[in-house]
Amino acid sequence: MKIIIAGAGNVGTHLAKLLSNEKQDIILIDDDEEKLSTLSENFDLLTVPISPTSIIGLKDVGIKEADLFIAVTPDESRNITACILANNLGAKKTVARIDNFEYLLPKNKEFFQKLGVNSLIYPEMLAAKEIVDSLHISWVHQWWEFCNGELILIGVKILDSAEILNIPLHQLGGQDTPYRIVAIKRKDETIIPWGDDSVQLKDIVYFTTTRKYIQYIRKITGNEDYADVRNVMIMGGSRIAIRTSQNVPDYMQVKIIESNTNRCNHLTEVLNDKNLIINGDGRDMELLMQEGLKNTEAFVALTGNSETNILSCLAAKQMGVNKVIAEVENIDYIHMAESLEIDTVINKKMIAASHIYQMMLDVDISNVKSLTFANAEVAEFIVKEETKVTKHKIKDLGLPKGANIGGMVRNGKGILVTGDTQIQANDHVIVFCLDMMIKKIEKFFS
Amino acid sequence: MINTKMTYRILGLLLLLETAMLLCCGCISCIYQENDLHSFLISSLITLIVGFLLLIFSKGAEKQLSRRDGYVIVSFAWIAFSVFGALPYYISRYIPTYTDAFFETMSGFTSTGASILDNIESMPHGILFWRAMTQWIGGLGIVFFTIAVLPIFGMNGIRMFAAEASGIPQEKIHPRIGVTAKWIWSIYIGLTGLLVLLLRFGGMNLFDSICHAFATTSTGGFSTKQMSIAYYHSPYIEYVISIFMFISGINFTLLLRVITGRFNKFSHDSELKWYFLSVSFFTLLIAIVLYQTTTMGIEESFRKSLFQVVSLHTSTGFGSADYMLWVPLTWSCLTIAMIIGACAGSTSGGIKCIRLVILSKITKNEFKHILHPNAVLPVRVNNQVIVPSIRFTVLAFAFIYGIIVIVSSLIMMGFGVNYLEAVGTVISSIGNVGPGLGLYGPAHSWSTLPIAAKWFLSFLMLLGRLELFTVLLLFSRNFWKKS
Repeated sequence: MKIIIAGAGNVGTHLAKLLSNEKQDIILIDDDEEKLSTLSENFDLLTVPISPTSIIGLKDVGIKEADLFIAVTPDESRNITACILANNLGAKKTVARIDNFEYLLPKNKEFFQKLGVNSLIYPEMLAAKEIVDSLHISWVHQWWEFCNGELILIGVKILDSAEILNIPLHQLGGQDTPYRIVAIKRKDETIIPWGDDSVQLKDIVYFTTTRKYIQYIRKITGNEDYADVRNVMIMGGSRIAIRTSQNVPDYMQVKIIESNTNRCNHLTEVLNDKNLIINGDGRDMELLMQEGLKNTEAFVALTGNSETNILSCLAAKQMGVNKVIAEVENIDYIHMAESLEIDTVINKKMIAASHIYQMMLDVDISNVKSLTFANAEVAEFIVKEETKVTKHKIKDLGLPKGANIGGMVRNGKGILVTGDTQIQANDHVIVFCLDMMIKKIEKFFS
Repeated sequence: MINTKMTYRILGLLLLLETAMLLCCGCISCIYQENDLHSFLISSLITLIVGFLLLIFSKGAEKQLSRRDGYVIVSFAWIAFSVFGALPYYISRYIPTYTDAFFETMSGFTSTGASILDNIESMPHGILFWRAMTQWIGGLGIVFFTIAVLPIFGMNGIRMFAAEASGIPQEKIHPRIGVTAKWIWSIYIGLTGLLVLLLRFGGMNLFDSICHAFATTSTGGFSTKQMSIAYYHSPYIEYVISIFMFISGINFTLLLRVITGRFNKFSHDSELKWYFLSVSFFTLLIAIVLYQTTTMGIEESFRKSLFQVVSLHTSTGFGSADYMLWVPLTWSCLTIAMIIGACAGSTSGGIKCIRLVILSKITKNEFKHILHPNAVLPVRVNNQVIVPSIRFTVLAFAFIYGIIVIVSSLIMMGFGVNYLEAVGTVISSIGNVGPGLGLYGPAHSWSTLPIAAKWFLSFLMLLGRLELFTVLLLFSRNFWKKS
């Protein structure tokens, strides 16, 4: 699939690397040659120093044959212009990154379609949604939905009152269990569990399940006593903070701590009275205690500095805050932050990238999409006729150790699988596997 | 530091590939029923075993390669190919000493074409085919060949490619390196195939046409005849080979553009323009000199001049005449052509025209700069500004090239080689050309060189083929420091 990415910023380069590792044909364009120079030497992609809004330039990189055009420069109007040009020059599908909430409104969708912008992404909005989700179901560490929420993948920490603690998985019940454990993260290690493995205290366990049984999983993992979030403290009044405050459920109280006075004034203009804006340095523990950190159930650090976010979350955790969320824009720090007991790590780039993955799924259904998390990958396969995977029951397939089928969606309905399940053509199958295994898995689906 | 296990793994896989190549030549000797079959079987067995051993040692290798690993693997891949590629010559006793066998193989893989054989016609077909094949594979590069045929490098392919083609950054034609490699190889195969047909048409037998086509498109220069192309006394063959040598000296990316119908970029390419002008200039000059100083007619002096200029300019090294018998002006001009080389991104060697284009523009800017001290002077090639980092790389390259030629000539003289011969062999080896000057000119083989000199020249060939930096980097102290 030929994908042209305009803008070699954070999101653009991250996407380009991910997709190029997936054997897509990637062309990355940007006016700034310096941003491109190191990329083409180290990754299997083509970089072209042209402006994303140049017609000659776009023709030159073969926009006519492009299956997907993604505009992710910092400037939203430029992205939209680039998408309009690309679409009219022949790109099959276009995606623009925007900064304006108005554009996302459903009534404007058709208008943008007409212009030639097929999809819009607003990474700050997506990040805010993810924060709100994780505040809302605060006991869940990670939450992914497949096929419009038909199948849900959640990562939950095991507490000491959990029912499934230390029981080998094969004793946990057979056919009727409404969940499937697909991966266990123990300290730095990710385990794809087999029947003899068991869940231990403080593991983060990844379940696939359907929406109905979320509460059941809360019970068996010992998270019933986990306090619901009513008071939230946000450090740093960034755009994500604004979107988060606007989107939290009504029963939640949000305090935003921002050190810049002008920014505080701006926040008061865009937010309503329900939110309290405090002018001060979020690193000042005294101030936080004064503002009632003790009575806060969730602390969200959203300053522009990843290190500050991680450290202040750790401090808040020590002060007894149950749920801490940190924005970590430095991808290399994510792994470390997760191991430091930060409950949820937010990364705009990864969120935007995985969102675009989902979009690609609509364009090219024959392909594999995978999300990288921890040391494992989650891939969604759409099963084709006559492939190896349809020939036997799952337990007889001989899947390699380190890979696991998490569930599937058949005819738009989420179904959990057991060893006896028979996969059919056109099922969407969610597969879990350790890094580097994906190639072996692909053989079963092709 | 270096990812040793992965290095073993890739080298092991490459050796398995070489085994397959050796077996190919074994088939040729089967067809001709000659006494060299056993040498190919034994060599491929040895190569196979070593390849497997390397694979066994590489168990549990971490897949990710760093830039550093890329340079190490590429350099050693070329050395390993030559070490094992020398076996058939040595085992069959057609080349009795291992030094000579290694020299011949390195000369083949680097598409140099300098030979130590004094009686080529007595060689069996299998050995001759192996000689031609080493050139053909080495012409576009061993790593590049592997990328095109087998996806064994995976994600590391791009790093390895960067290490093998460390010269001027090439314009990519497709986002994926594997596809690019396939396209370039298709052109290469197409050119070779066409040349085989044309040579057959000119009366050469099939075996010789294939071998000569291999040696021409790779700009290698191994002939199956001791007298090289002069053996055929055929103006047709000389013209055909001249044209194909010239084409093989053009950037293959540009050739692809011609095939896909984009003449515009092709006709406006400044490197190509320089290459064409340089070839024309030397051809005319030498033709006039030949016409004046020898008994040759107009057509013959033009033909001989054209053939020699193209042959040495593209670093092929075929001979249609012994230019050492001509007046010194001619072979001095030919030496300059050897140093210049053809275009980047082709199979040729030498400094390459694009570097000279850049160097000349830098020099021109320096003069302008003296007159207008505050002027901002970009170096533009094909309407694109060359970034300063590339300008410095080019300057450094030219400097190192000069230094190496001088120092190596001194070393060669230290081995007891005469002045003219020392300079000739060094320029010829580092430019991957083939024939040298004086006693090692086109009419003679290099077999009489001292043993140490042969090893040294083999090293120079590798150095020149991998565009200096890749190999020299391994000798830099920083490279091996833990940083």
